[in-house]
Amino acid sequence: MTVRLFLLAATSVFYASAAFAAPVTIDVRGPDGKPIAGAVVAVEAPGVATPPPRGAYSVEQRNIQFQPHVLIVPVGASVAFPNRDKVRHHVYSFSKPKKFDLKLYGREEARTVTFDKPGVVALGCNIHDSMSGFVFVVSTPFAAQTNTTGRVALQGVPAGAVTVRVWHPSIRAPGNTLVQALRVAPNGLSTTVNAR
Amino acid sequence: MAFSRPRFRSLRTKLAVLYAGLFALALVAIVAVTQVIVRHNARESVMAELAASGTVYDRLWALRQQSLAGAADVLARDFGFRSAVASGDAATIESALVSLRARARVRDAMVVDLEGQVIGAAGPLATAVSQLPFTLSAGRHDAVVVVDGQVYRVVLSPILAPTEIGWVVFALRLDSAEMRGLQKLSSIPLIATILHPDEAGHWVAADRSIAPDRGLDQLVAESSNARPLTTLSLPTGRAFALAKPLRGADGKVTAAMLIRYPTHLALAPYRPISVGIVIAGLLGLIAVVLGSGRLARGIAGPIAALDAAAQSLEEGTRAEVSIESGDEIGRLAESFNRMSAGIVEREHRITHLAFHDSLTGLPNRVSLRQALDQALARSAHNGDPIAVLCLDLDGFKGVNDTLGHPVGDALLKLIGLTLTTLAPDAFVSRLGGDEFAILLSGGFDVDRPRALAQSIVDSLTEPVQTEGHLIATGTSVGIALSPGDGRDADQLLKNADLALYRAKQDGRGVFRFFEPALDEAARRRRQIELDLRQALKCGQFELNFQPIVDLKRDRVGCFEALLRWHHPTRGLVSPVEFIPVAEETGLIVSIGEWVLHEACRAATAWPEHIRIAVNVSPLQFRNSGFQAIVLQALTRSGLAPQRLEVEITESVFLDGEENVVALLHRLRAMGVRVALDDFGTGYSSLSYLRSFPFDKIKIDRSFVTPVASDHSAAAIVRAIVDLATALHMETTAEGVEDAEQLSELRGQGCSSIQGYWFSRPLDAAAAGAYIAAEGVTLAA
Repeated sequence: MTVRLFLLAATSVFYASAAFAAPVTIDVRGPDGKPIAGAVVAVEAPGVATPPPRGAYSVEQRNIQFQPHVLIVPVGASVAFPNRDKVRHHVYSFSKPKKFDLKLYGREEARTVTFDKPGVVALGCNIHDSMSGFVFVVSTPFAAQTNTTGRVALQGVPAGAVTVRVWHPSIRAPGNTLVQALRVAPNGLSTTVNAR
Repeated sequence: MAFSRPRFRSLRTKLAVLYAGLFALALVAIVAVTQVIVRHNARESVMAELAASGTVYDRLWALRQQSLAGAADVLARDFGFRSAVASGDAATIESALVSLRARARVRDAMVVDLEGQVIGAAGPLATAVSQLPFTLSAGRHDAVVVVDGQVYRVVLSPILAPTEIGWVVFALRLDSAEMRGLQKLSSIPLIATILHPDEAGHWVAADRSIAPDRGLDQLVAESSNARPLTTLSLPTGRAFALAKPLRGADGKVTAAMLIRYPTHLALAPYRPISVGIVIAGLLGLIAVVLGSGRLARGIAGPIAALDAAAQSLEEGTRAEVSIESGDEIGRLAESFNRMSAGIVEREHRITHLAFHDSLTGLPNRVSLRQALDQALARSAHNGDPIAVLCLDLDGFKGVNDTLGHPVGDALLKLIGLTLTTLAPDAFVSRLGGDEFAILLSGGFDVDRPRALAQSIVDSLTEPVQTEGHLIATGTSVGIALSPGDGRDADQLLKNADLALYRAKQDGRGVFRFFEPALDEAARRRRQIELDLRQALKCGQFELNFQPIVDLKRDRVGCFEALLRWHHPTRGLVSPVEFIPVAEETGLIVSIGEWVLHEACRAATAWPEHIRIAVNVSPLQFRNSGFQAIVLQALTRSGLAPQRLEVEITESVFLDGEENVVALLHRLRAMGVRVALDDFGTGYSSLSYLRSFPFDKIKIDRSFVTPVASDHSAAAIVRAIVDLATALHMETTAEGVEDAEQLSELRGQGCSSIQGYWFSRPLDAAAAGAYIAAEGVTLAA
């Protein structure tokens, strides 16, 4: 799986009080205890605003696949869905945060969708059932995908109560999302989230 | 438990029961085993069929799911439908479901969204289904739920957009109709029933057709891992059964399908085989029973016949067994027949032997007695006379002694033959030895006994030629007639015997009829015999002594002891009368012994020059203990042996000279003197004088009486005296009665004389007086 790490951390740390910032390391484990790679971990801290969209986001359709498979974007970001294949695609989403329907379009015909609500938006192609992708719309600067060992490390999370959302398609929970309230100590947090 | 073995009286029953029992047992075992095999096979094949049906059912189950999933998928992948679900457009979803139900021909079709909202159903079923997608383990799209006692098969098909946004759910009610549809698919009349646990946890049929049952619980429990086949006893009857567990969302067995096959239906195709085997077994059994009976009859029949024959043989009846085969039993029957024939023949022979004389083949004494008894019985009835003739050959002993027993036997056979020829009308028997008896009975001519006796006597007067010898023989016959001479067999035979005795006494070669006098004489002899024994005991005997005068010295030189019997009633009994009886009965030995003792004792009272002379009977002399008796008499009395003189007659030599001479020598050696009595009366007296040197010869009175008047007698006496003198023997003349005789004898040189001229026999006292007075008399 191609995972493109999209770090918002640098700006976030900058905005937050450096004195209170602490490193947060979260390990995600499946029900069998194995690390889940590619899970999205988002830590929402009170008082930390949604970062503004930066640069151009896009989910390409290449080789009858969405690339990247998971794209983390801040609320309000516009994502382009360029078709790189020779066949046409009908990209749609029935997810609550953003329902859209890009009727069949061909190569080079770029379409853009703006994601204005936080949440997971599942992407599908009406032509190709096997095509699946996700746009993870977050309202926090602290969000990243776990690496191959199922770990994610976030910098600059302010100490105090936080809400951690862990998402992965294999997680058997409403919205495939685990929501957990945690407290970040001044010197950071290191914890493990076990999916059911 | 104690079993008493049955006992059979007949071999046939025993064999029949044994064979029939064994074969029947074998047949029953074969039938039983075959039945078991058939049942086993039936069961196996039914089980296989059942298992196959189970497999088919599994496949159907999967296919049904596939088809349902297919139907659901079509809907779930429809963009518009997905859009409707994603947007929660319940109305659209409902209407889509209506067409789905029609298309898939399923009553309950619904949609469950990610929130567990159920669209298209309500009530308990909706509640049961709402959480199903979330509890169903990964990869499963199929589960069974029990709702209000109704079992539903729930098939889920996810609605992907492209992730799961909900599920199209089919709930298939597993009811009787569904089961019937399933039953129709099977080649055998299966009964499929859906089971679910009741409140108590026992498995029951959803349609309540099967009540809780332990076997059922066990079957379902075991079926969760494997697929065992079992036999269940249900209220509806026995059945082969297997259970297919149906799992709920959590993977646990929530319900089960029971597939059963009623035993009676399952085994129905095999029933003809079973029945056929049983019928064949029964037919075999009948054949075995009949066959065993026949076999047993075949074996035991001849044996029973043998048994019966043996029994009748035991009871004395001759029985033959028919021989029907050449086997062992046939041979046994043959042997039995031979044996029984042998037994009968031997019995006849034994009977014959018992009643016949083996030498002549004539009836024997026992037979005669029987015949006589029968004749007497008949005679008592009809008054017919009976005659018994007793025969005795004359001089037969001599034949045996001189010519040997084979010749004697041949002679007896010949006599028997002669008698049978002479008396064809009579019962001829041999009594033993040379004695024969002839019984005449059954109305014979009055003269017949006499004529027959005469013809026998005449016929046997002629010498008989036998075994190369011409034997001069003769016979005496005694005849007794009934009823005159006796009315019973014993008496008749005795009287005939007495008559025979008389015939012999009368010179032999004659016949005599019985006369009462004969009987009287015989009775008298018998009485004498009895009295003699008494006499010995009671001392009725007495010795008299007759002096023997020594002519040279003119004095008594010896007394001859003479026995006198004073019978208490009859008075003095003559020795002539009782001595023969004593000799016949053997009493003479005891009497002689008494005489010897008494004589010796008496002699001791006399002067020493007087001897005592004692007569010794040949019978006494023949007795082996005679020498000892003499010695005892001498010892007891203290008499010098020289004073005892034993007088013997020539007849002692009749039994052979050798032993007699030896005994005489032994007596002589003891010192006892020996005198030869009655000299001159025998046939060969002279030769005896050569064989033993007698001390004295007594000249018989037949020569003495006429010695004075007859020259020839005188010459004989002279010759005897001369001879004796030459042989250095003394002589005593007996029976001297007058002076002339005395002078003649004295003149001839006779040593001593004895007779009335001097004295009659004297008793002991008189003898003593005689001696005392002797000198006087002689001198006078």
